[in-house]
Amino acid sequence: MPTVTIDGRRVTVREGAYVLEAARLAGARIPALCHHEAVEPIGACRLCVVDIWKPGWDADSFRLVASCLYPVEEGLVVHTATPRVMETRRVALDLLLARCPETPLVRDLAREYGIEETTYRKRENPDDCILCGLCTRICDKVGPAAISTQSRGVLREVAPPFFEAPPDCIGCGACAEVCPTGHIKVTEDGFTRTIWGKTFEMLRCPSCGRAYLTRAQAEWMAGRGMPVEPLCDSCKRRRTAEVAASLGRPR
Amino acid sequence: MDPVAVDLAPLDGILARYPAEESSLIQVLQDVQRHYRYLPRPALERVAKALGVPLARVCSVATFYKAFSLVPPGEHVVHVCMGTACHIRGAPQVLDELWRRIAPDANGDTADRRFTIKAVNCVGACAAAPVVIVDGRYHGGVQATKVAKVVGLEEGGRAS
Ligand code: SF4
Ligand code: FES
Ligand code: FES
Repeated sequence: MPTVTIDGRRVTVREGAYVLEAARLAGARIPALCHHEAVEPIGACRLCVVDIWKPGWDADSFRLVASCLYPVEEGLVVHTATPRVMETRRVALDLLLARCPETPLVRDLAREYGIEETTYRKRENPDDCILCGLCTRICDKVGPAAISTQSRGVLREVAPPFFEAPPDCIGCGACAEVCPTGHIKVTEDGFTRTIWGKTFEMLRCPSCGRAYLTRAQAEWMAGRGMPVEPLCDSCKRRRTAEVAASLGRPR
Repeated sequence: MDPVAVDLAPLDGILARYPAEESSLIQVLQDVQRHYRYLPRPALERVAKALGVPLARVCSVATFYKAFSLVPPGEHVVHVCMGTACHIRGAPQVLDELWRRIAPDANGDTADRRFTIKAVNCVGACAAAPVVIVDGRYHGGVQATKVAKVVGLEEGGRAS
């Protein structure tokens, strides 16, 4: 397992980890808006930049990399808050703020880096999407890949095919769950869930009666031979706790 | 929606040329674009099924590349070269003039579907700059004053 130095602290991390993971292990605070453990990194937001140095390099030649997708290796030296790291993050945040001038998450993070208002021209009719791509990546990984990014450049946006209710969507809500800004809206009324303009029938937890899963998702999972959880999350937790308690009772 | 029903029969031939897998997607879309001159929605839906690629991903690719279009082109397609040589010799003015004369939407399509205008990068005929291509036919030395004629808006043009 490689040992790396993060801001002067040596940490040993698992083989195949990325620098971000190692840095967090060492207690460094690094903003990372497009990162999520459940999906592969794509380096979209550039907020997680750090300075790195490798054995064999000139003593003063550091390189800026996106820590979320830079693999650790033995002897790597990482600085997570050098002046140019902070400046690079500031530029990225300034740009993000121009894209999403009203989005609380972006505003708060920008403020932490000393930016109240963007120095660029604000996007007209902004929404809360920062194009981190977490929603499309999670849908690709755990769902039917019902949404994706459309177009490119300034026109790029997350949308279902033809900007209509997505035919493949099973209403699992994973995209809304991972969306860091709350851009993806889900509404539930106890019987149905609506997301991406599509309304789904909900199944009820046989133990507590709470609507916990769309019928479409249950069928999709069954069709793939995946076990469908028969209880909602809180009943499942309670049941596990009960089992644990009965096993752990002192004699 | 497509203005006319699309004949999907030619798709079978196109799909038969490539292995039914995700890596064939761009080649298939290129052939579909060549055949229909755009990517009709029912064709995209068929391609998604046939190659086993999620429709969302097909749409993502179809909207990413400039070579693909989801709407049928106008009767005449006009490419205005914006490469370096053409740029220096007045291509921006040519494009402005054309844009002013036929007033297309942001995609370069006119409401009457007569024209589609596209700004493109160097088309490899720099010696003849500025270059305008009308329905695949190259015209060199097309200054802003001449462009209306070249695309057939005025007497003596070729495209009308
Ligand atoms: S909708 Fe949310 S998760 Fe998807 S790209 Fe935009 S900000 Fe990221
Ligand atoms: S978290 Fe690394 S680029 Fe977004
Ligand atoms: S720049 Fe127009 S043909 Fe080369």
